[in-house]
Amino acid sequence: MAEYIKLIDITKCTGCRACQVACKQWNGLPAENTTFTGSYQNPPDLSYNTWTLIRFDEIDVEGNIKWLMRHDACMHCEDPACVKVCPSPGALVKTPEGAVVHNPKYCIGCKACMIACPFNVPRYSPEKDEIAKCTLCYDRITDGKRPACVTACPTGCLDFGPKDKMIKKARARAEEVGGYIYPNNPKYETHVLYVLPKGVDMKAYSHLNPDPKMPATVLWWKNLFKPFTLLGMGGVAGLAALHYLIKGPHEVEEKPSKGGDADGE
Amino acid sequence: MANREGMVRKTDATERMTHWILAGSFLFALFTGLGMMFHHWSIIPTILGGYYAVKWMHIFSGVVFGISLIAVIIMWWEDAGKFVEGDGKWILRAGGYLWDVKDMPPSGKFNAGQKIFFWFVVVFGILLVITGLIMINVLAFPVVVARWAYMLHAMSVFVLASFLMVHIYLGTIGNPGTLQAMLYGWVTREWAQFHCPRWLEEHDNKAQAKQE
Repeated sequence: MAEYIKLIDITKCTGCRACQVACKQWNGLPAENTTFTGSYQNPPDLSYNTWTLIRFDEIDVEGNIKWLMRHDACMHCEDPACVKVCPSPGALVKTPEGAVVHNPKYCIGCKACMIACPFNVPRYSPEKDEIAKCTLCYDRITDGKRPACVTACPTGCLDFGPKDKMIKKARARAEEVGGYIYPNNPKYETHVLYVLPKGVDMKAYSHLNPDPKMPATVLWWKNLFKPFTLLGMGGVAGLAALHYLIKGPHEVEEKPSKGGDADGE
Repeated sequence: MANREGMVRKTDATERMTHWILAGSFLFALFTGLGMMFHHWSIIPTILGGYYAVKWMHIFSGVVFGISLIAVIIMWWEDAGKFVEGDGKWILRAGGYLWDVKDMPPSGKFNAGQKIFFWFVVVFGILLVITGLIMINVLAFPVVVARWAYMLHAMSVFVLASFLMVHIYLGTIGNPGTLQAMLYGWVTREWAQFHCPRWLEEHDNKAQAKQE
């Protein structure tokens, strides 16, 4: 199975929000009632019913206001922290295509994925006691289609295709516009890539983790203490068995009895 | 209270019940917790009614563990929480306890090893309960705190579950005549003289004072 990448060329984003709408339509997600907060940011954040949105930021560039628009959704990590911490098999799955997919049928609403995610993506519904997030339209891409957001994008900001092709395209585009690729940590691969424009620091984008990686606490938890629990219990039980076989139990020394207890407390 | 020939009563019913509520809730939380941590052991959630049910069983047994932990701390604070003269020597001879039990410094109701276990249960038990409470409503906490909570929860389980195996061995087949102290409370005078002579002396003095 080929691996895929969703490429987000921020230099072409006009903030039209067609991706938001297409995502809602394809995944059958209801709209949310929101209120004006003095910003074009709408809806305010990802939610159980909003799996992608345009993040809106205003920055000051040499006395001029610059608008930053960024398509934000699950980054579909190669080694997803959410899958690593998920206690319920099948609730979060890394697929061969690279998409990280949740299955509400198996989700037990523990919220561990929300804490582990380096991109703060999964969202929880108290009513349903389960999480939801972008699936890279797994039902579409396994049918040879592109994700709904990519299909709807009118400017070519969003693209989707085989991993190698998309990486090549991202590099070429970054060179062309003098921008840079995010995330650019070779040790932390994702199946979503950004081309960010020239002259804008990635820290200017809200909710963009400048240094995404598997949280160290997750590694200690799952790679160290998890196996150690079995090693500790089994090891101690084994040592106890050895002690019993080699040395035997502590037999009480026989002494002449002084008679019964006087009153038993 | 009926007397038993040649025996003394080591624990009262409250101590035994509190101990077993703590032990039972810990073992059940451990069982359900391991069932969620090791996906190969899906047999555990399967026999208990699925992962969602197991999540709530884990939470409820954790709450019972937390309450009984407080009760145990209050109940055994005097007997197990305070190290006294002689405990230091006992700890230095701990290897001797395993390989040559003769000539150990005389212990009170609990020996220094049991007191160390008590303190491990107190420290890592409280850590388990606090991190568990954070995890129940994890979104109310900063993400750094939440991430540490999951890790410390797993670390505390590693420490306590390993030490628990020592406790089970020494409380059962490792020391014949001991388990009954936690089942119906009575141990032989020989057992008491051997394992906790200081306690037996106090016990006899109290009984004598009562008779006079």
